[in-house]
Amino acid sequence: MTTPIMTVSDLHKTYGKPGTKQYEALKGIDFDVQPGEFVGIMGASGSGKTTLLNMLATLDKPTSGEVTIHQQPITHLKGNQLADFRAKEIGFIFQDFNLLETMTAFENIALPLTLQNVASKKIKPAVEAVATQLGIAEFLNNYPNELSGGQKQRVAAAQALINEPAMLFGDEPTGALDSKSARELLDLFTKINQERAVSILLVTHDPFSASYCQRILFIKDGRIGQELHRGEQSRADFYQQILDNLGTFEQ
Amino acid sequence: MLTKLAMTGFKNRWRDYLVLFSGLIMSSAIFYMFEALATNQEFLKQNSSISMIGIIFQFGAVLLTIITLVYISYANSFLLSMRKRDYGLFMLVGARKGKIGQLIWLETLLVGISATIVGIILGTALTAGIGKLLINTLDLTLHHFAFWHTPAAIATLLLYVGLFLLAGLFNLITLTKTPALKLLHSNEQPNRPRLKPVRQLIEIILGLILVAIGYWAMANLALLNITGIGLALVTIVLGTYFLFNAIFVWLMLFLKRLSAGQRGLNGFTLSQLSFRIRNYTKMLSIVAMLFALALGAITVGMGFHAQTPLMANGNSAYDMGVVDANATEKRQIAKLKPVKKATYHFKADKKAVYYLASEFDQQPFTITEMTSQAQLDYHQKALKSAALSKSHDLYQLMQLQTSDRQRTAPVFLSATAYAKLPQKEQQLTIFATKDLMANLDGLKDLATLRQQRDKGIAKGLLGGRYGSYKLVNGMYSGLEFMGLFLGIAFLAMLASCLMFKILSGADADQHRYVMLDKIGATQKQRRQAINKEIAVLFVLPGIVGVIHVLFGLQMFKLMMIASPYSGIWLPFLIFAGLYLLYYLITINIYHRIVLR
Ligand SMILES: Nc1ncnc2c1ncn2[C@@H]1O[C@H](COP(=O)(O)OP(=O)(O)O)[C@@H](O)[C@H]1O
Ligand SMILES: [Mg+2]
Repeated sequence: MTTPIMTVSDLHKTYGKPGTKQYEALKGIDFDVQPGEFVGIMGASGSGKTTLLNMLATLDKPTSGEVTIHQQPITHLKGNQLADFRAKEIGFIFQDFNLLETMTAFENIALPLTLQNVASKKIKPAVEAVATQLGIAEFLNNYPNELSGGQKQRVAAAQALINEPAMLFGDEPTGALDSKSARELLDLFTKINQERAVSILLVTHDPFSASYCQRILFIKDGRIGQELHRGEQSRADFYQQILDNLGTFEQ
Repeated sequence: MLTKLAMTGFKNRWRDYLVLFSGLIMSSAIFYMFEALATNQEFLKQNSSISMIGIIFQFGAVLLTIITLVYISYANSFLLSMRKRDYGLFMLVGARKGKIGQLIWLETLLVGISATIVGIILGTALTAGIGKLLINTLDLTLHHFAFWHTPAAIATLLLYVGLFLLAGLFNLITLTKTPALKLLHSNEQPNRPRLKPVRQLIEIILGLILVAIGYWAMANLALLNITGIGLALVTIVLGTYFLFNAIFVWLMLFLKRLSAGQRGLNGFTLSQLSFRIRNYTKMLSIVAMLFALALGAITVGMGFHAQTPLMANGNSAYDMGVVDANATEKRQIAKLKPVKKATYHFKADKKAVYYLASEFDQQPFTITEMTSQAQLDYHQKALKSAALSKSHDLYQLMQLQTSDRQRTAPVFLSATAYAKLPQKEQQLTIFATKDLMANLDGLKDLATLRQQRDKGIAKGLLGGRYGSYKLVNGMYSGLEFMGLFLGIAFLAMLASCLMFKILSGADADQHRYVMLDKIGATQKQRRQAINKEIAVLFVLPGIVGVIHVLFGLQMFKLMMIASPYSGIWLPFLIFAGLYLLYYLITINIYHRIVLR
């Protein structure tokens, strides 16, 4: 057994200040992610998926529990350490294309590097390499409003990957895409997962998206209820298994 | 129900409304301040020796109205940017358009009118406060100055209510004619910054020509008269607009290519700026103009102020003369620690004042002689009786005599001739302090003492350096006051204008800075990005404004005796300080909106 790239132990999150109306969105979550693994988190709307992802990706702080990435505890990171960690170790892709509409695709992708004051000589080849891999090399000079949803999501993926992060987080990244673009993006995730050996954590409520993962954790009422492994199954079979599982799980 | 919803939106964003509200109050207060002077005909007539002043004020009023128009449209777009989302949502949940239109209309008018009323009250207080402050610190004498002037209040109210009716109508049309979804996602579309060399070259040439015409008109005001001011205003505003339009894009693209333009968030900041170019150039040219007007007004005001002692010093070498000083007066003179003092005996009849020539040979009388009228250069010369009697600066001795003898010529006699005169002998004490301006209070007391015996002094026949000072000060007080007062008003206006334009973009920026945070930009990097972006927007019109002022001061060569450029650093420094203060306030509010 290798050392996991990410460990999550006894994670709790309660919304609302003590004394006011409180809501416990996460009630103790435990799991690990191995290096290079493609993990899905599935659950109905309101089950706590986004809440969990925000804790894992340092976007919010848990009420209790710990998350480590590369053996480094991350829940207490603050200020510059936190910013550095975000810039170097992780990348995100959200449903609503996290691109700056004031900058071209190239500038958007390069942003994490310029933030680290990487020399512009090194930036150009790095951006071009990742853009070529993701099939958006020809759109580098376009502004986000000149791109389709699928292209935007690929630019966002390129931006997330430019710093060669250890983990890539996606919160319903296909949520705003048509089925063809969604399929292309998921194929791309599989490709970068294999070629770059980057670990991916994908949050989704959609069984089709989930079927691209190697392992799926089902979350319900703030707890992980069940786990499915794809193993050697074809994707179509795995998809069927997920659907069957959902039927019983949601009851 | 909908009204309730609207109110909750209002409550959630009370902080932003506070910014909007205080900005509108400021603007109407400033407009009132200006109108309080501009509509007060008595005040203008009594306080300026320049016949053009009324027309200058009318130009100013037109200009300020245009600026107010622009200002309100910015403030309104700020209001609209805050409300679009809310109203979009109401429409999505099925609220009737008519009902929403009513709400918007009401909201705009309510915000506008209440701000205007508070603004007029504040404007009255400011007019009184600034007026008092200027009058006291600068020792000004003003006639018919009133901080409450009903026509000014009416003018302010009419203009603002009118403008807000228009703004309400505009909001109603934009919000009800735009589909709900568009309101929900109404982000500005980027303008791709493009270099169009031919067009930009034409813009640069046109801009330069227009600005040159404006500068020429200001330097040749003597030739063009009033048309010159109008011409200069129009050509300079237009010229500045073209220049900003052409140079801004080019500048941003150029800076982006520099390696420093790629470091940290600099690239982001430059993109932000070029993204908003179209929006900003109009405002920047207006702000540059306002900047020039404000700085120019303050400089001219202070120029008049600096000129007063210069002119007084050029008029006489002695502060005052006292005839037959009594014990109290002698004590008062001693208290002033004179650096120069002389006492001459004389006898006087209707035709002349007779002095002993020998006394003037022992204690020569110092005259000041102008070497160049325009530059106020003078030197002092001590003259004995023979030279003095022939000098055309003899009037300087005459003015030191009692008020009834200011026009009676001095005659210098030998001791024998003097002894034969039957009149009673009297004694004239003249003196000069080290620094006139430092001893104004003591001299005033002495003048009051003298007035008990010499009633003519009350009519301004005081004589000497102090007398000239009083005379010149009376003449310039009005101009000085108007200059400083208007300068402060314009500055406040321009800074609020700039502040609003910038703040109305803050809302759209919020999600960008959230994204930067997620990507790993540190708090410091984000703060600095904001500081830099706003600094550019403050500095650019500032530089252009300073250039405009330097040329604009040419106009005052006509009215001012000393060069309008002398001592220019002081108003510039004060202005820079105030401007910096506005910058700091703006970035502070921006940080609070964007980085919360
Ligand atoms: N900031 C918040 N404050 C209070 N409750 C929240 C907040 N964010 C989410 N919740 C609640 O936590 C639960 C889980 O939400 P979320 O993680 O967004 O669900 P999912 O992404 O699975 O749809 C929901 O019931 C939601 O109402
Ligand atoms: Mg969610």
